Amino acid sequence: MTDDAGQVAATPPPAPGRSRRLSDRGLAVAFISPALLLLLAMSVFPLLWALYLSFTDYSATRGGRAYFVGFGNYTAILTSAQVHQRALTTLIYVVGAVTLQTVLGFTIAYLISRRTRGRGLLTTLFLVPMMLSPVVVGLFWRFMLDAQFGVVNSMLGSIGLGQVEWLTRQRTALISLIVVDTWQWTPFIMLIALAGLTAVPKYLYEAASIDRASEWFRFRTITLPLVWPLLLIAVLFRAIEAFRLFDLVYILTNGGPGVSTETLSFHVYKVAFLGFNTGTASAYGILMVLVVIVLSQIYLRYLNRLKEG
Amino acid sequence: MRHSQRMDRLSAPRRKVQLATAAMLLMATTVAACGDGGDDGATASAPKAPATIPELTKDPLTLSFIWFDWPPAKALEDFANAEYTKDRPNVTVKVNTVPNANWHDAMFTQFAARKTDFDIAILDSQHIGEAVTNGNILDITDFVKNNIEVDAYNPYLLAAYGQFPQAETGQRDENASLYGLPLLGDTWTMIYRKDLIGDKPPQTWDEMISVAEKCQADNPGVSGLAFHQANGSDAAAVTYNTVNGVYGGNLWDPKTRKIDGVLNDAAGHEAMDVLVNKMKPLTAKGSGNWFIDEVNAAVAQGKACIAFNWIAASGGLLDPKESTLGSTREQILDKLGFATLPSQKTDLVPLGGMGMHVSAYSAEANQVEALNFMKWFQQADVQKKWAAAGGVPSRTDALSSPEFLNAGPFNQVYADSVPRMRDMWNVPEYARLVDIENTNVNAALNGAKNPKAALDDIAKEQQSVLDSSGRKGGGGL
Repeated sequence: MTDDAGQVAATPPPAPGRSRRLSDRGLAVAFISPALLLLLAMSVFPLLWALYLSFTDYSATRGGRAYFVGFGNYTAILTSAQVHQRALTTLIYVVGAVTLQTVLGFTIAYLISRRTRGRGLLTTLFLVPMMLSPVVVGLFWRFMLDAQFGVVNSMLGSIGLGQVEWLTRQRTALISLIVVDTWQWTPFIMLIALAGLTAVPKYLYEAASIDRASEWFRFRTITLPLVWPLLLIAVLFRAIEAFRLFDLVYILTNGGPGVSTETLSFHVYKVAFLGFNTGTASAYGILMVLVVIVLSQIYLRYLNRLKEG
Repeated sequence: MRHSQRMDRLSAPRRKVQLATAAMLLMATTVAACGDGGDDGATASAPKAPATIPELTKDPLTLSFIWFDWPPAKALEDFANAEYTKDRPNVTVKVNTVPNANWHDAMFTQFAARKTDFDIAILDSQHIGEAVTNGNILDITDFVKNNIEVDAYNPYLLAAYGQFPQAETGQRDENASLYGLPLLGDTWTMIYRKDLIGDKPPQTWDEMISVAEKCQADNPGVSGLAFHQANGSDAAAVTYNTVNGVYGGNLWDPKTRKIDGVLNDAAGHEAMDVLVNKMKPLTAKGSGNWFIDEVNAAVAQGKACIAFNWIAASGGLLDPKESTLGSTREQILDKLGFATLPSQKTDLVPLGGMGMHVSAYSAEANQVEALNFMKWFQQADVQKKWAAAGGVPSRTDALSSPEFLNAGPFNQVYADSVPRMRDMWNVPEYARLVDIENTNVNAALNGAKNPKAALDDIAKEQQSVLDSSGRKGGGGL
């Protein structure tokens, strides 16, 4: 009561029409509560629930009681040869796709940044793939890469090259996934790199020109160091996205041939929805989140150190 | 400054209250969710349908099915809305479809939520075990006794689409419970180019391979064979199981639940060798992810001498708009022949098709309507009309009727194949068993795995799935 009285005395009188009982803080809580409740219900609760299930043998279809299995699910996942195989596939995919996207994205951004005319149009055109749904992208690339009827092999045939089994051979299937992902997400890196490149102060280049610095020297000592931190953030986003790749695999190869293009996310999907082993799938998901959090933290620390340096 | 002082003064108790409220909210939500899970344990077996059909509603009602997207789904919706509504004008039938690869997941994720937007699930025969064990579909044993002429069916067809535990091949256990009734019968047909290999289809599997080999050599640009090889759905698994059956192999010993040592015995390895080393080289390059549509496309475009596909999916082959083999149905039929599968050590063929199963979570009025629809659908005259509409009936009288036999050139193939059918495993672990087989056979067909190692891996991994029921954690990996 004393607090309330003090508060009323300390704050200006409420605006006409506003309830006298609703303080600024109460108003803030009222505004934030819906979003907070939504966050609790849709994100925090499922995460905690998944954490709980990850220590049980619960199955969503079987129902019934969930029996506590301790760290059984976690040890089974961490020691499973199948999981190790999917982790390696995911690693190759993430490194391959993100490296290619970074090199291409930065190169395109660099070339666009040097143009004075048509820059906006070019940027918009390059951004189109990023705006498409991954399922649509997967479907039309699946048709284009079809060994018998696809346009890619048809073009290769017209220049005298043989048919390539893009989606049904172990090596080419993973390469195809990387290429399609690169086609779609290079514009993302390009966009961020372009933002970085346009933010580089012009006077630095002018000073370098006066000093008769070469193009390569200017790139190496001015452009790259200034754009690098921004580029690293883009790489972080892309790496996290690529790490949880599911849709393209599902549409393009369904994890095949065999399981050679099955990523960790695709494997979690199978564990969760083929056998409905909800407990194991929850532990698998939690481990994947942990991996992303730990790697992101290490990466961000490096980024901060870079900025401080 | 004054504001911050006030905040300091107020923050400690208020923060405690807020934290306590948040914790209580979280706990309440958790308890609510846990409570639901706790109830499920009491309903872990299939609930029973009434033996007689209670009074039907007179209010407008939509009877919903769930199936995968293929021509029979559209045929069923059209047929039911044209015929069933004559008896039940207040009912509209809706067949919801999903892509084939999502079919199992679409049904069972709804079952897992204990709430379905469909009244009748069209389950593959192998899904029954999973649905029954989880209590997802109604036990219709008493309903069938009172309402269905069971003697009008080949006993194995009745068992295959409804019985659990699974029937032995070719038989029905009269004492076992029934959970569904046949909707669409199906099996593989051999589709062959009469203009390239002659009117007489090959009679044995070995002969079929040599004919395909010669045809491929004589006709550049045309591959000898086309069949399912994809690693999705049950594509590559059915292909291997078919060859396994023909070469005298077995998928498992259902009594002892033994797979390792049974599947990968000498006959099993011979079948895998035939499939990978003799049949695969006769297929088109890049056909390692082919399923129903791709095989049909290859046949329709004249790119295959001999192909294997499900009968229910073969109707489109006779459509001149989709074929390069002729501008009329007759011209196409001059070039295409349909025959039962060649035999070798046995004459087994794969059992396809699906049954109708009533969702345990559907509203009571809809469950009653679903039972009434199933009773209506199994009448002799309706089965013949279904045959004429493009469906594959299961009643023996409908199978031998002119309405069915004259409806398509492949229908005689189905009628001849009925006594030769063999199914896969109908157990709750089916989805995982078929995935293991699909991925390994697909790997062998596409050079990602040695065929012998692939078969041994299938046997080992499938056995571990069957044996893993008592495992503490890590199930499903």
